[in-house]
Formats: sequence, C-alpha cells, structure tokens
Amino acid sequence: MRVPLFDRVTETFTRHLASHSPRRQFLARFSTLVAGSGAFPLLPVQRAQAESRTVPPVQPNIASDFDRLAQSTDPTKCNYWRHCAIDGVLCGCCGGGVHTCPPGTQPSPVSWIGTCRNPSDGRQYVIAYRDCCGRTTCASTPDCHCNTADREMPIYRPQASNDIIWCFGTTSTAYHCSTAAIVGQA
Amino acid sequence: MVSLGGSALAADPVLQTEQSDVVTLKPYTPHTILVMDSAGTHAKDGRVYVVDADRGALLGMVQAAYNPNVTMVPDASRFYVGETTWAHGNRGARYDLLAEYDARTLKLTSDEELPARALITPKRNSLTLNVGATRAYVYQMSPSNGVEVVDTHAHKVTQSVDLPGCALTYPWGTSGFSSLCADGTLANVSLSEDGKASMTHSAVFFAPDKDAVFENSPSVAKTGEAYFLSYTGNIYPAHLGANATVEAPWSLQVGAGMKPASDASAPFEVTWRPGGIQLIALHQSDHELYVLMHRGTFWTHKEDGTEVWVYDAQTHKRLRRIPLKKTSNMVGVTQDDHPLMFTTDTDGDLFIYDAQTGHLLRTVKKLGTSVTFTIAPGEE
Repeated sequence: MRVPLFDRVTETFTRHLASHSPRRQFLARFSTLVAGSGAFPLLPVQRAQAESRTVPPVQPNIASDFDRLAQSTDPTKCNYWRHCAIDGVLCGCCGGGVHTCPPGTQPSPVSWIGTCRNPSDGRQYVIAYRDCCGRTTCASTPDCHCNTADREMPIYRPQASNDIIWCFGTTSTAYHCSTAAIVGQA
Repeated sequence: MVSLGGSALAADPVLQTEQSDVVTLKPYTPHTILVMDSAGTHAKDGRVYVVDADRGALLGMVQAAYNPNVTMVPDASRFYVGETTWAHGNRGARYDLLAEYDARTLKLTSDEELPARALITPKRNSLTLNVGATRAYVYQMSPSNGVEVVDTHAHKVTQSVDLPGCALTYPWGTSGFSSLCADGTLANVSLSEDGKASMTHSAVFFAPDKDAVFENSPSVAKTGEAYFLSYTGNIYPAHLGANATVEAPWSLQVGAGMKPASDASAPFEVTWRPGGIQLIALHQSDHELYVLMHRGTFWTHKEDGTEVWVYDAQTHKRLRRIPLKKTSNMVGVTQDDHPLMFTTDTDGDLFIYDAQTGHLLRTVKKLGTSVTFTIAPGEE
C-alpha cells in the first residue's frame, strides 16, 4: 500500500533528526513536534481509525524489526523488549528473573550492553546482559533460548558482542543463563 | 513330534569365541569429515565426531568440553581440540587445554595446559594452524585480547602476542596471522624465531557500526587469500600477509541480479541477506563461496539460512541456488572435485548434499545436539 505523503515526509524528517542529533535532544524536538500536531493523523491509534494497514508504520525511536514487534508484558519470551540483543537462555525460565539469578548461581560483575526500546514508554534504555554463572547451561524449553542481535557486533567489538561468556570474575566461569538488567536511560 | 527347527539349529556351527579389540580408522578420504558439536544445552559435554559423509556413518568421536574448538592438519593425520574443564565438574581449578589426537586411532597424543583460551560461542578462527602445522594459534581474552602461540612439536606455548582492539587469527604462511580489529582494519602479526612479534595494520576497509564483517569468514593459510563477508552481503577479497591488502568489495545481491542490500543506516529493508553462525564456506580450488541466505531486515545476521547461494569468487556471479530442507546456521563443503555440502538444523541432524547439483543425498539423524561446523581434509 502506498504510504501517504505526510507520513513519508515525517519519517524522513525524524530519521534525519535522529541521525544528526543527540538522542535526548531528538526526543525533546520530537515531543515538540508531536505536541503541535494534534490536527494531523500522526499517532498509530489515529492511523488505525483512519484506515487499516498491513504494515505498521515506523514509529520514532524504532531502530529495528525487533523494536517494532517487541512486547512489555512477558519477560520469559525472546521478544520481551529488554531482550533486543540477548544470546542465551533466559534466567526467568530457570528459576530466576529478568535481572535475578537462579539460586546457587552468581551474576557476572561485568557484561556487555545493549540499547533497547521499551514500547510502553517509547524510551531507549541501556541494558546490561549479565550472565549467571556456576552451573552448566540451563536446559529450559526451546522458547527460552534466544538469539536476537540488534546492534550486535562480532567479538572484535567485545562490548557489543553476545558471543562471549561474560562469567569473568565469578567463582566459576561456567555459563548458566542470561539476565537483562536496566542500568539507565539511553 | 520331530522339531525341524531344533535339527537346523544343531546343524549350525558353534560360534567362535571372540577377543575384544579396537578399530583403527582407514586413512581419511576427502569425504571423511570432523563435525563439531558444541552441545549448547549441556555445554560441558561438547564432542567432535568423525563422519564418513559418503555413507552418513559415525566412525568415532572425542570429547570437547565447554565452548570447544577443533582444527585439523591438512593431511588429516591429526587434529587439535581446544577445550576448558574444571577440576570438580562445574567448579574448582579451571583448565584450558589443547588436546592433540591421532586422527586414525583417536588416541590422545598430547594434553597441554594453556595459560588461557577465550570462552566464546565456538568460532573456527579462535584456534588455527600455520602452514606446516608447526604452530597453533589460540585466541584468548583474559586478561586482555591476545594469542597464545603453541609449538605443536614441543607442546608448549612459545609466545604470547597482545592484540589490543583486535580478535581471532586468520593465519598466513608459516609465521604470521592477521586479526580483525574494532577500527575496521586488519592487524598483521609476524612472528620471529627469537620469540618477538611485530604488527602492522591494513588501511581501514569496513565500518563496523554500519556494516560489520563476520568473524566466520574463510581464509587459506597457504595462499593468504581471504574473503571477509559483511552483514549486508559485501565480500572483501583480501591478501593476507605482513602487509595485508584488501580489495574493493563486491555484493552478493548484485551477483544475483539484485540491488545491494541496505546497511545499518536503513535497517528496515527486507531483502536476501547472509546470516547464521558458520555461515560461509570456501571451496578453495574451485574458488566457490557457499553462503547461507535468508530474507530479512538488517540486524538479522544470526538468523538461519533458508537457502545456500553459491558464488564464483572470481567473477562475483551467483552460480547456484540451493534451497534447504530445514533452515541451518552452518554450511560446510569438502575440498575435492566432487564436493559434498553440509548443513544442520535445530535437532542436531547433519544434511549431506551433492554440492554441485544441490541434491540432498542423505541425512544423519540426530548426530549431535548443536552441530556448529564441519572440517574436511585440506580445508585448513
């Protein structure tokens, strides 16, 4: 389906702004744009009322298909928003939680980080993917084995690679499962 | 009543007593391959299988514990397994090991303790051999990026080379290797007999944030040729050496009659893209590249391939397109004139194809848990 001209212009503008502005500055400018655009069919809900679409429009702050499809209700699924770049077994499926290690294991003091968008508030957050260590790999259902790769890099960029066992500095370097803790707003 | 069955049994010769013995494998054919199973769901129990791909038969195996790696000498007489264990199973003293096996008896011929090895999702280039297999290069990350150089005859580490900002080894010649670096260059390390190492850097040839190159790109130690594949599907031909050079890239999509794929600056474009773990293989003498492809947006670089696209690395044209029965994160190819191609699935099956026709010849059901890559004789 052909995208309306206004949407295309808006998308081009917001992409240009996003790629040329610091993120907070971008959010501030975009908020101003939204506040002043009540007469325009900008919000997704308004679009849905106006016409049905097969492809959802690209929303601001969305950088990938994962962002577009992410949910914020079930942290034991690979498409939970914080898991935008996780590789491993979700600790929430192994007796732990989204930022909690299962009993008897030990969180890694270091990790790599991702930047994920919370669909509930539209904000980007820095996520620390800390491993829980000291047991062999958690054998949960295949649904809990995730390998998403938003902005994920090979190990020559270790700070952005999810292929590294991050159990450095723990009593045992055996990998058990992965958590996704919020460490701040991006 | 006369029992006819009883008479027949009585006529059979008495079975002979037997001695227990042990197989010694025949010399490897071009289709005798090693298969790495990193056993993802029980990662302390990895294995390396020896498989006769002409019959789809398991010939033997060795253990390869915890995020292991394996590399084989070109004449397939021996192979090396990099592995990590703990004294008490999952705890106690940690041992990073380089085990050497005789390829026909599968007997352990050396069991060397290393200072360290990197614990990463298995990647072939974390353990490589020089030409002549007199040196093994073991990538490690603790306390910082570096390479342990192992003398494979003396079975000891002779050098430790720091690799600031760079990772893995792509060997060339008898005494050098290149590494991929975070700034988009190659680091080129030359080893001297006096235990010293010198390093140069290539010009910047890729932009990691926009279009990173895959670690699992193929290279050939004896010629120094390498093909670095990027997330979008660009191939950067390289000539590895003390002063490595990289040619301008060519596009897999253009070679298939399509427009080039978008990079990270336009991530939503859905098109055919490379993806997987060991997602590319090289047939060295035919100069053919086998690449796992899927349809997706940017940042789907770890998605399984639904097809294998085969390219002529010299003309940059797609030669064949092989749809897969099951999606795969791994592709391998033998190095002979009638090559076989290998893929896997999430059930640990090994699929064996005629690489030239794309016909599925046979399947080894549930060979392992997480088939990660294959190694054929002459490949390294």
